[in-house]
Amino acid sequence: MKFSFFHLMPYTHLDLETHEWPFPNRYFDPAKASALYRTYVESMIHAESCGFDWVGCNEHHFSPYGMMANPNLIGGALAYPTKRVKIAIVGNLVPLNNPIRVAEEYAMLDCMTGGRLVAGLMRGIPHEYLAYNIPPGESWERQREAVQLILKAWTEPEPFGWEGKHFQYRQVSIWPKPMQKPHPPLVISASNADSAKFAAEMRATMGMVLLADLPSGKECIRAYQETARANGWEPAPENILVGMHTCIAETDEEARRRLVHGLKYFDQVLMGGLAASQRIVLQKTRYFESDESRDRWKSRLDKRKTLTLDEQIERGTVLCGSPETVVEQIKRIHGELGHGVFNFTVKVGTLPDDVIRRGMELFRDRVLPHVRDL
Amino acid sequence: MQPQASRVSLPSGELSYFAAGEGRPVVYLHPAGGVRWTKVLDELAKSFKLHVPIMPGFDGTAAHASVKSMKALAALVGEFVAKLVGGPSDVIGCSFGGCLAAWLAAERPELVDHLVLECPAGFRPKGYGGRPTDAEELRELLFLHPEKLPPESKPAEQEAANRKMLPHYGCAADTDEELLARIPSIDKLTLILHGTADRMIPKESVQLLKSRLPHAYLVYIWDAAHAIEVDQPERVLAVLKSFLERSEGFMVNWGTLAINQG
Repeated sequence: MKFSFFHLMPYTHLDLETHEWPFPNRYFDPAKASALYRTYVESMIHAESCGFDWVGCNEHHFSPYGMMANPNLIGGALAYPTKRVKIAIVGNLVPLNNPIRVAEEYAMLDCMTGGRLVAGLMRGIPHEYLAYNIPPGESWERQREAVQLILKAWTEPEPFGWEGKHFQYRQVSIWPKPMQKPHPPLVISASNADSAKFAAEMRATMGMVLLADLPSGKECIRAYQETARANGWEPAPENILVGMHTCIAETDEEARRRLVHGLKYFDQVLMGGLAASQRIVLQKTRYFESDESRDRWKSRLDKRKTLTLDEQIERGTVLCGSPETVVEQIKRIHGELGHGVFNFTVKVGTLPDDVIRRGMELFRDRVLPHVRDL
Repeated sequence: MQPQASRVSLPSGELSYFAAGEGRPVVYLHPAGGVRWTKVLDELAKSFKLHVPIMPGFDGTAAHASVKSMKALAALVGEFVAKLVGGPSDVIGCSFGGCLAAWLAAERPELVDHLVLECPAGFRPKGYGGRPTDAEELRELLFLHPEKLPPESKPAEQEAANRKMLPHYGCAADTDEELLARIPSIDKLTLILHGTADRMIPKESVQLLKSRLPHAYLVYIWDAAHAIEVDQPERVLAVLKSFLERSEGFMVNWGTLAINQG
């Protein structure tokens, strides 16, 4: 089993709830953000010495939920202070960006890290489409076309042109090209059957975060594996990434107390504006390919809101407890899903950074030795 | 679309107005220069039922003896909406009309649905300029693209006479402090529009308004001075129609970025 240390990089200095979209940036304090960035990046660098295999972050816009308008900048900050760990950018929001720019920046990171990039090619959640004025109804089409264009940009031996529906380039010849051949490993979000199938078609690792429950996760994995086989390849456990909020402390009681506090900020402050924007988009566009997918997304949000921490632990959608408890939770979830990459979202709301640091060391000393060989 | 001129009898006197189109009601409150039937109004009338009252004393109409303040004028507009529409209406106010629309929303919230404030007067912070002193300066402040003015525009003398009504209603040249204090109580979904080259109403005015209104969106119209409907009618319409038709959903891009449909 491989383990990924994932950071949402939230802005944690707000003391209000808001359900406005966009989240008013009059509350943003650059001095506080400057200190947060330093703390977060140092934490990510420290993850290497704590035995993590990947360290990563993702892209979000217009919200304190995550301060990473461009996660590739964070990738650049991690490139030289780390030596072994994979830099997992999971990932750039492909339908929102210039795909050639994505291909170029990822190729840069792959060269700068000596071939340690894991390249996430994500579709993004609804509010990002409002932020970048991209028609949500075209998200799927843009994602499919852009991912294929990026792969071409990385792998074509000669300059080429692309005359697509959404993207047109008369000639493409990126400098640099990636170090890993044929290209860096891909991660594509796969929290529903539609996206799981697309991940399989692209021979990408499927990424599932914010699971509603283990049975729905199993369903996505089944769709992914079936599509992969239909496309002539057999996914390994390492092609399945499962992510969840994680809090490890000395005792179960402390871990729960800390996580409950962090989740309160996560749900009430960080998720507030996002939920509003999602409502606006979901009500009125074809963002999801089917009503079923849309309903599942809404129900997942609703369930997350109403479940207690104990219920989430019981469902296997959160890792929380002492090192010994977390070992058992990891074994149970792995037994159900059979995945090969476990992605820990460690900075949950206002969970204190020193608690996270201590949790990383507990992971290294008392968790990893018991789950490395799963 | 040719607007129909009519009159309605209200307790303080007769009020003239224009009406055009069919559909959901929209009340449009004109700027200090009086009613200017722009391309924006023409296009709106294709989708909405427009009511455009002429404030007493403007465009050659008689003033009402008992209406001598913005608050009283808002009460008059409230009577107009209640009588003509009979319930809540979307309300657009332009400049002087924007200030009046805000007053209406504060005084008669039950009559206002969505609110649109086009470069609204009444919120200019002190030290950010004042009203123009001559016709040439006024023209420069109003239009970045005067060539877009329709040929049938009203004479400058009429516009100047209209502007003399501002002191009559006590319309503040800078900030209407009483109205500003009421702004946080306006819970209407509000769209604020402002030209990027507007030197009549500084951006600080709309920024102040945005910060005080609980449910407001501010959109800048690029390459437009104060008369945004003249300088950039297509841009104003695109935002305005989308907001009136889709409410908060106006933030979602409903079009296509595809070039080659295939």
